[in-house]
Amino acid sequence: MRHDSEDLVARAAAELRQPTGLSAGFDARVMAAVRQARRPSRWVLAWEWVREPRLVALSPLGGLAMAASVAALVTLGVWAAVPRGVTPGVASSSAELGEVVQFVLHAPAARAVAIAGDFNGWDAERTPLVAAGSGVWSVALRLAPGRYTYTFVVDGTRFVADPAAPRAVGDDFGTPSSVVTVGRGTMDQGRAS
Amino acid sequence: MKQRRLIVRLGLVVAAVSVVAGPAAAQDPRLTGRLDAGTRAAVEAALDSARAQGLPADPLVTKALEGASKGATGARIVSAVRRLAGELASARTMLGYASTTEELVAGAAALRAGAGPSALQRVRAVRPGAPVAVHLAVLADLLADGVPPDTAAAAVIALARATVRDADLVAFRQSVDRDIALGASPGSAATVRVNSTARADAFTNTTPNAPPRRRP
Repeated sequence: MRHDSEDLVARAAAELRQPTGLSAGFDARVMAAVRQARRPSRWVLAWEWVREPRLVALSPLGGLAMAASVAALVTLGVWAAVPRGVTPGVASSSAELGEVVQFVLHAPAARAVAIAGDFNGWDAERTPLVAAGSGVWSVALRLAPGRYTYTFVVDGTRFVADPAAPRAVGDDFGTPSSVVTVGRGTMDQGRAS
Repeated sequence: MKQRRLIVRLGLVVAAVSVVAGPAAAQDPRLTGRLDAGTRAAVEAALDSARAQGLPADPLVTKALEGASKGATGARIVSAVRRLAGELASARTMLGYASTTEELVAGAAALRAGAGPSALQRVRAVRPGAPVAVHLAVLADLLADGVPPDTAAAAVIALARATVRDADLVAFRQSVDRDIALGASPGSAATVRVNSTARADAFTNTTPNAPPRRRP
């Protein structure tokens, strides 16, 4: 039995040692096929690389670092989105931070007056004026250097330009607006009207 | 193997940054809740276009918020935002690509008020490398007061040449306002006041915001 199997192996080995007879054009056909096959583009390779599932190893420290990066980016995005340039009621003034500008409107019949402008995101509810008596309303805002367009909003519905300030030219929305300019070391102050 | 892990980690970090920072750059949260979806999309497209040109988007957002606050229609808001973007681009062409947002905003206001493009170029030429936002804002205000464009430009350029302080520029504009309110013609009010302001500033010129003068 053992002799038979040894004999079989020897015959198989002898057969395998025989030189293979290839046709004369075999090499040429193989090379032509290789040349014809197109190399996948960089994008296809990249897409396959992205699709191929991988086991990702992440240390707890690495995970924490990634979470901190995401939190920092979100915080930065929120910070960048918040309008700046106005701090109501600040009494001091500084050339670098801008100037405190007093906005005043005489509106004896008004129940509420607010100011909306470039400096507060045109939010009429954000910066109310305070009644100072005798129909005079006022608010002090610290503005960074720049040119700002604004309007008073009386009783939440009526837009009133500041009679003591220059008018904004060519209002886009058909309602009057005024302009205040703040430079370094400037106090362009609204006056009671 | 280690290198591959590192690449995968870096890829994850980049993906996380793209997911968070991408929408933050493309969409302005200040517009959320202030504009309807269609208007917001059109405004965002205008903002993207402005950013692609290197123009500041912040004044455009503010313009959209002004329209929303005043109850304007979406079409009117989008039109106003596009118009301002065009004016900012024109102002930048006249003032130079290194101009600040404040200068472009004031320059755009001056152009809208009727200033000629050459007036902006001349103001910049008189004060190369120094801030001109207040000069341009005063120019816009003078034009709004009815001062003829040539007179307004000449007045502001004279004050720029005299390195008048920002505070005195604004005081000059207020004086012109007062004179006009008292009955003076806008042109003559500007001409008279510019001479007195330049002269007064020459006496008390501490010029904290003036560019350094060259020694002869």
